[in-house]
Amino acid sequence: MSIVDDRPAAGSDQPEEPTNRPDVTYRLREWLSRPYVRPILTMFVVFCLLVIPIGWLVVFFMNMSGAPASDIMSEIEKTILVFTIVSAPLMAITLTIIIYSLVGWGRVTGDEPPMQESPAIRSNAIGTYLWIGATSLLAAFLVIWGLVELATITASSYGSVSANQQPNAVKPIDVNVTGQQWLWSFEYPDQGKISNEVLVVPINTPIYFNVTSVDVIHSFWVVELGIKIDANPGAITNTGVTPNKLGNFNIRCAELCGMHHAYMETQIQVVTQDQFDSWVREMGGKRTV
Amino acid sequence: MTAVIHEQQAVPQPKQHGKPGGFLRHTNIVTGVLLGVILAVATYVIGGLLVPWGTEDSNFAQVGQEALIAATYAAWVIGFMIGIGAFAGPIRWWLGHDLTHADAEYMAGKDQGKWKYWKYTTDHKVVGIQYLVMAMALLGFGGLLAMLIRTELGVTWAEVFDPNFYNSIIGTHGIVMVIAMIIVVAGPLGNFIMPLMIGARDMAFPRLNALSFWLLFAAVPPLASNLLLGGIRDGWTVYQPLGTQAPVGMIGYQICIITFAFSTGIAGVNLITTIVTMRARGMTWNRVPIFVIGILAAAIMGLVWFPMYQYSQVLALSDFAFQSSFFIPQNGGSVWLYENLFWLLGHPEVYVIVIPATAALLELMVVFLRKPLFSYKIAVAGFAGVVGISSLVWVHHMYMTGWSPAAGYPFMLSTELISIPFGFLVLVMLGTIWRGKVWTRLPMMCVYAMIWNKIIGGITGVYLSDVPVDQYMHGSMFVVAHFHFMLMGAGLFGAMGAIAYWFPKMTGRMLNERIGSIGFWLSFFAFQLTFGSMFVAGLQGQPRRVLQFDNAFNVSNWLSTIGAYLIGVGMLIFLYAIITSWRSGQVAPSNPWGAKTLEWQTATPVPLENFPVLPVVTSDPYDYGVPDPYLAIEKKLSDENQDVTAGAR
Amino acid sequence: MSELAANTQSAVPRSATTGEPVTTTARRNRLGIWMCIVSDATGTVALLVAYVYLWSLNVNNAWAPPKDTWADPIPFWLITAGVIVATLAMWWAVSGIRAGRTGQFVAGSVIASLVTLVTLIGQIVQLSTFPFDITDGAYASATFWLCIATALHLSVVGFLTSAMIGRLRAGRITREDHSHARLVAMWMTWVCVAVFAGAFFATTLNASPNSNSPTFGTFQE
Repeated sequence: MSIVDDRPAAGSDQPEEPTNRPDVTYRLREWLSRPYVRPILTMFVVFCLLVIPIGWLVVFFMNMSGAPASDIMSEIEKTILVFTIVSAPLMAITLTIIIYSLVGWGRVTGDEPPMQESPAIRSNAIGTYLWIGATSLLAAFLVIWGLVELATITASSYGSVSANQQPNAVKPIDVNVTGQQWLWSFEYPDQGKISNEVLVVPINTPIYFNVTSVDVIHSFWVVELGIKIDANPGAITNTGVTPNKLGNFNIRCAELCGMHHAYMETQIQVVTQDQFDSWVREMGGKRTV
Repeated sequence: MTAVIHEQQAVPQPKQHGKPGGFLRHTNIVTGVLLGVILAVATYVIGGLLVPWGTEDSNFAQVGQEALIAATYAAWVIGFMIGIGAFAGPIRWWLGHDLTHADAEYMAGKDQGKWKYWKYTTDHKVVGIQYLVMAMALLGFGGLLAMLIRTELGVTWAEVFDPNFYNSIIGTHGIVMVIAMIIVVAGPLGNFIMPLMIGARDMAFPRLNALSFWLLFAAVPPLASNLLLGGIRDGWTVYQPLGTQAPVGMIGYQICIITFAFSTGIAGVNLITTIVTMRARGMTWNRVPIFVIGILAAAIMGLVWFPMYQYSQVLALSDFAFQSSFFIPQNGGSVWLYENLFWLLGHPEVYVIVIPATAALLELMVVFLRKPLFSYKIAVAGFAGVVGISSLVWVHHMYMTGWSPAAGYPFMLSTELISIPFGFLVLVMLGTIWRGKVWTRLPMMCVYAMIWNKIIGGITGVYLSDVPVDQYMHGSMFVVAHFHFMLMGAGLFGAMGAIAYWFPKMTGRMLNERIGSIGFWLSFFAFQLTFGSMFVAGLQGQPRRVLQFDNAFNVSNWLSTIGAYLIGVGMLIFLYAIITSWRSGQVAPSNPWGAKTLEWQTATPVPLENFPVLPVVTSDPYDYGVPDPYLAIEKKLSDENQDVTAGAR
Repeated sequence: MSELAANTQSAVPRSATTGEPVTTTARRNRLGIWMCIVSDATGTVALLVAYVYLWSLNVNNAWAPPKDTWADPIPFWLITAGVIVATLAMWWAVSGIRAGRTGQFVAGSVIASLVTLVTLIGQIVQLSTFPFDITDGAYASATFWLCIATALHLSVVGFLTSAMIGRLRAGRITREDHSHARLVAMWMTWVCVAVFAGAFFATTLNASPNSNSPTFGTFQE
């Protein structure tokens, strides 16, 4: 077959046709060709992949006692995973550089100051802008995520929006929480003012807490449901949550309040609506319609 | 009468009153302690007689034992300061009997040998050593308390200590360590090294320098004695009104903080004025070593915000001893007022701890990598940004207090924002490390330890800064592990590196690096175990400040305790290295590291006047390194590329 | 001429301890006093914040003193006036020594010292004759401490002003070098601001705007 081949003949010493546009990637290709760059980039990717699972590890430990038992807690766990992922690149590059520096650019030992000196790099515009850009982006992401998340959780905690975005099919329950040295007591003003030292609530119902203290500062922490608010003497604070898992979970005091602070614990029992109603009747209260 | 000062000038002198040094020839630590004790005992006895308990007085009804104890502690402080000779200065000023040059030389410790360390000596080098010893003593005391804490938490099957005593130990451990960490870099190194580094003969106010140290000394016995008087059972933060339920030992804490705040404020005035007005000729602001900038940043934050903490304790003492009601809600007080006043200092304070250590490591890295500091201007911007924004983040310690739910938004914003200037400092560290040949001596290796711990402290800080996540984590052991990673992991390990670096200049000996490294690295790895397990305990749901807890947390606590004991061993080994090297280590040359900052250009041991002739500075101290070989390649490529471009047209 | 002799004959007054020109040490001292003012300002703000914050919260309706026996405003303003007069006298003294009139300096310092002493006594009298105890609620506590702070400020000012004559006689204050006197006047100017701020808040913010704070220990508003 005869095809006209007008490539330069093999062995010809004529250069290739110059292109019309200059090669703008020459600097990048030069940088990539330096002996330390590819190992660092490889280590960077490896560390990113190692750092990201830490988020899951963190959540694993949080879930050991039965969490998540509410949307708020699930939201918290999602945030931890997301924050770990977005922070991973900066963590990874820092780790990479400090570890590589111990192996890749030469080491000097001995008593005398080194004779050889290192490259006098006083600035690097690209590196600086990349870093400042990355940290700013990260900060911006964390802020925006945090602000949106806080607004969402606040809305579901304080009653303007029910946690599942459904119109109020379920009537919320108010609980007055009193912290004192060294126990918690819960009063249900709308259920006939019954009072108990264990918190019993029905599942999938918004619970709104009014919290105060009669002596020193305590902190009302419903562990697996992810809510916490200080119980302050002389003030009433508020929080709220909708439990979405049946079971017994922990309430602990999270602010040092004296001698038996460690023992200021009780339980939250998330039960079905029917179980809750019969419990209310047993306690001498009345069911809210 | 004239005096020849620095072999150069004959300066007219005021009248010499008595022998040089005057009253201070007769005062020292012994007279100070004696007079302090005498005045305290006298106050207690006479006060008890004059105002029997339960007296109704015109305005101050029910002056009780608390007020008497407060007066007793205050008498100790005042008596000690009289006995150490601190009042000689103001009294001489009032009389117009200003110091002569001979007086000043005496007070600087001239010809007094080792005895000058036990007196009201103004030489910044003496004060630096005094601060170093005090910092180590406080760290040791706090460390001992830490071992007790971890013992209690490790013995998960029993209560080792009575709960009140346990609560006292954790509170005392906290405040002792906070004080120790505030002074550990700025005290020894800010005093001894910084004036040398800027080419000055002493600090701006030498007598105030001695005053700030001895005020600190006077503040310690009230704090330490609290354990004998029932203890501070309320954590180092001493939230009110829990503090008013405490026994009288609480007053020791309050007097300690009030006194320590004066010490820190005076030190801040001295550091700032020295750095701003006493730099050597030619040391313009862009030639100032970065360590000095860090000290300046920390001093500014401390000076501005410490009075908030001081007044929070004054008002708490007033509530405790005089039944006022700043923080007692039944009577109109607000718990949130205390929390705000406290954390307005409480947050800048952590930067007062971390910034000097970071700045010291930035300074020494340059020497061990033999290349200039990467982007000095960005480092300065980083410090400035941290100082500025640190005043605007304090409410993130109060997310869960219910003080102001709306405040969560702006303070989450400011808390995330501060990570940007902090990131500048990390950028400078990484840029300086980049492509450097590492001289693997102990001070440099400490930099790696610090950066590693900062990474972990940083990511956990990111979690905590988010208000919803904080709903889970606040008040749990997760927070405790986070701040230990920042303050101890980055702060203390960084400080150890800085002290190892400047050890030859301060003591005239080389630190035994083999033993020092063994101690350091044992502590470092044990630290990961201790506080890594503590993160887990917190995530599992263990609250802070509890001595007994759910069995689910047992394993984490056992691991933490084992790690803590190993930290103790490691720190003791490091201390052994310091002590033996100081006493009989290899004699150090004047510049063992080949560094270019001014403190290394003078002799070791440093003469009283620091420099025979004050230096004149012509460049910044980062003139290391060889031209970057890749720049030539880049230029060649750039030229080639331009040829191609030219050829294509 | 040897350098030694030349320096001896130099007209620039020098510090006896460090040999530096007094203009250098004066500048240093001035920065030091500014730093002290900054620190004291934060402390003053702490007390003012305590006052305003407790006033705004009215926790447990216990801000006001029993039977609303607020402190008489006049003593506050007399004390403020006293501090201002003493400060003006001190500045007058400084302008005198600057022009070489030592008599004016002495007169100004004496007036400043006496007025400060009288004001301090007045402050102590006010403290001991309030119509309430320090135990009578948050307003009482905050007002007491604002006044105690003023008393402490006045004591320091009294120490400083009374030193001026002795220092003049000992030759430490001259027309060429009176920097310490200026610094004392500077400090007193700050004290005027602090005392004024305390008097302003204590006299203008009395009854709390918050009348429905929750009753302690209950959930009732």
